[in-house]
Amino acid sequence: MAPTLELYTRKIGHPEWEEPFVVNMGPQHPSTHGVLRLYLELDGETVVRCDPRIGYLHRGLEKLSENMTYTQAMVLTDRLDYISSAANNTGYCLAVEKLLGLEVPRRARLLRTIVCEMARISSHLLWLATHALDIGAMTVFLYCFRDREWLLDIYEKICGARLTVSYPRIGGVRLDFTPEIIDELYQFTEEFPTRITDYETLIDVNRIWLRRTKGIAVVPPEKALNMGLTGPSLRGSGVPYDVRKFRPYDAYDEVEFEVPVGKNGDTYDRYRVRMEEMRQANRIIRQCLDKLAQTEGEPVVAEGAPDLLMPEKKKAPRAVPHPKKGFMVKGEEVPVVPEGEVYVSIEAPKGELGYYIVSDGSGKPWRVRVRAPSFVHISAIPEMVKGHMVADIIAVIGTLDVVLGECDR
Amino acid sequence: MNPIRTIFLTEIAKGLWLTLRKMFSRPVTVQYPEERKPVAPGFRGRHALVRDPNTGRERCIGCLRCAKVCPSRCIYIETERDPETKRMVVKRYEVEALRCVFCGYCEEVCPVNAIVLTEFYEYVGYRREDLYFDKERLLANWDEFLTTQKRPYFNPYWKPRGVPEKMLPAPKRKAEGV
Ligand code: SF4
Ligand code: SF4
Repeated sequence: MAPTLELYTRKIGHPEWEEPFVVNMGPQHPSTHGVLRLYLELDGETVVRCDPRIGYLHRGLEKLSENMTYTQAMVLTDRLDYISSAANNTGYCLAVEKLLGLEVPRRARLLRTIVCEMARISSHLLWLATHALDIGAMTVFLYCFRDREWLLDIYEKICGARLTVSYPRIGGVRLDFTPEIIDELYQFTEEFPTRITDYETLIDVNRIWLRRTKGIAVVPPEKALNMGLTGPSLRGSGVPYDVRKFRPYDAYDEVEFEVPVGKNGDTYDRYRVRMEEMRQANRIIRQCLDKLAQTEGEPVVAEGAPDLLMPEKKKAPRAVPHPKKGFMVKGEEVPVVPEGEVYVSIEAPKGELGYYIVSDGSGKPWRVRVRAPSFVHISAIPEMVKGHMVADIIAVIGTLDVVLGECDR
Repeated sequence: MNPIRTIFLTEIAKGLWLTLRKMFSRPVTVQYPEERKPVAPGFRGRHALVRDPNTGRERCIGCLRCAKVCPSRCIYIETERDPETKRMVVKRYEVEALRCVFCGYCEEVCPVNAIVLTEFYEYVGYRREDLYFDKERLLANWDEFLTTQKRPYFNPYWKPRGVPEKMLPAPKRKAEGV
């Protein structure tokens, strides 16, 4: 039976009836960066409880890859973190290469490092743009998008696509750079540090920015480790963990770079870490470009890399005894990809991105599991927003840099 | 916070000075329908079937490699044997562009460089059928695309730079532009 008006009037003002005020933030809220829905219980403007509800962008990419060959499934990884697709592709290719035991040529490794760092810069630029816009700085947004556009143009020249690049392939990369691209990248690395200085002029010491970020969502180092944060969100708390340094892949062992860390673990420190990371990424690109000249004319695909058109099954001829003819040739099934399981993780712009692949010997993966940083980071939101104002939730979502395509997969 | 900075609003003034300087720099905005950005060669856009300049027919030999490699399985091909010349000809070649993910695998695996993703990206339709390209439509796409191109046209994916020659199918090794 519906409660009567009398029941309500009786209950108002009753101390036991002080229910929290429930607000649904998202999934269409513009500052949740996708389709994140937060179920909030508020006491006035203070957050008492926050409950992230995810899954609005679930496409079943892990399951889908089980019905595709290894090369086809690489195309799906573009759609995980669609802002830095080159890094996702590289991680997947590294995992399959480990399964196959392939040695990638040096030039391909350098090229992949360059596109990964380009992805890092463009991802951080998009992060800075939207994070600043959410907090209230409009100009930075426009400047960041201007520079990100330049990077996307370079991507377009490299491989013909701007966002879902599908540039690496198992055993190397699909195309080599042309000399014009290398020139343009040199020009970019030349100019980009001054652009970062511009962004910093605008917001680094801006009092509104400082008030909105300093001391917001402080995560002490132990807590950050326990919550499973990785990438810039972890380094902002002062833990110098970076997969590129701990388990170097591709050409990261050849280049020099520093891993910036924060001190207080608040939103401002994470901002500083990402700004510094962009400078380091720029430095890495520069070094790789210098090294590219040494490998001029070398192949970019490994010897024995699988063809794009991967067979689902492979048969090898074998002579078997025959009662009348003496022997006959029979096809015997051989594994396309060796049986086994691998886990490979890379330092994606958002954090540690891992691929766990189980192979049963056929041309299709038996199971692909993606350890997506955004998924783990979203689970840290309730802890981080507790006791903060509603407006700070926006800053927290921004500072963790979550992408829902990767979280929901 | 630095007291001088607090009183004189220096950081705000600096920021405003930067924006003021940028106001007088060259604008980067492209007024889209009137002006367009140049598209990079090898851009993965609308599909087209290459018309062989010698025969006037499509170049495709119906080997089904593209249909097999396509991750979204959006290419449908039917072949038949020509009763006179006894050669395989393509009866039906359809691409469902709505399902395509524009990975470029099809143009890369095609041994005779018969399919291409053109640099044309402004295609829309009112119905789903408008974006369901059959063979005639694909060949028309090619003719339309060629009028905007410098000849000979050569797509970077037809013979990817840096890929060792022995990994490519034989006709691709000596591929030439159209
Ligand atoms: S570009 Fe990729 S998805 Fe599109 S038709 Fe070609 S192979 Fe299929
Ligand atoms: S791979 Fe090329 S030749 Fe073979 S069916 Fe496809 S378009 Fe035709």
